[in-house]
Amino acid sequence: MTEGILFSVFSISAIVFAFGVIFRRNAVHCALHLVGVLLSLSGLFVLLNAQFIAAIQILVYAGAIMVLFLFVVMLLNVKGETPLLTPGAAKGFGFFFALIVFVELLWIVLTRGGAEGTSQPAAALPPGFGSPAEIGRILYTTWLFPFEVTSILLLIAVIGAVVLAKRKFA
Amino acid sequence: MQPQGIPLDAYQLVAALLFTIGLIGVLVRRSALIIFMSIELMLNAVNLSFVAFSKFHGQMDGQIFVFFVMSVAAAEVAVGLAILVAIFRNRETASVDEVHLLKG
Repeated sequence: MTEGILFSVFSISAIVFAFGVIFRRNAVHCALHLVGVLLSLSGLFVLLNAQFIAAIQILVYAGAIMVLFLFVVMLLNVKGETPLLTPGAAKGFGFFFALIVFVELLWIVLTRGGAEGTSQPAAALPPGFGSPAEIGRILYTTWLFPFEVTSILLLIAVIGAVVLAKRKFA
Repeated sequence: MQPQGIPLDAYQLVAALLFTIGLIGVLVRRSALIIFMSIELMLNAVNLSFVAFSKFHGQMDGQIFVFFVMSVAAAEVAVGLAILVAIFRNRETASVDEVHLLKG
């Protein structure tokens, strides 16, 4: 019962904030609405027994990435664009295409892609499900190689960002 | 006996809605910054889907995937915003409609 109320609150606030992200004129307001979406989603993650993911969602996304966004918004000092949406046929096409994608997703969710089984949670979750210790154990055993590749990816991203943001291209 | 709880479909519906809202943002907004935020929105919708499947299968691999998606998103934001700053420095605009050098 409590779970149902929390699910409704978090999912409705996530969707309302998401509309704010794409329909507000001021880029700073958009960024703050995106923070609202991220916080609501971290609430949903806690409901889904993913406590560690919920914590790093707040730390990495709502903290680090959104600070980067706000920093660039204020650095560029972009004015609210007029008109807000792309003009002409592209706008109608955009909404139409998004509607088609939503109907497809809805169809997949409702038919479950033709898969068998119930939509109820697994009867008993293994002990320590979603805890940092268990995440670390899987990350450094099964997923060790992807983890190392990710570190190289981040290194490349750092170098790329520094090179791109330099005043003059050497 | 079935344990009562929020069904998987409810979480997938929320994820589908958030993904669609992000897609609308990418397709109809003109500011490159807002398009980036919409991409983050879509990534987060997929993260919700991953975590929901992870719980309903009783396996934690979905949560590991969310971990990787977050690191890729961080890399993407760092490089993307650097490109945006470079474009703004050269063209004095962040609107994708006015950056059309490659348009035939």
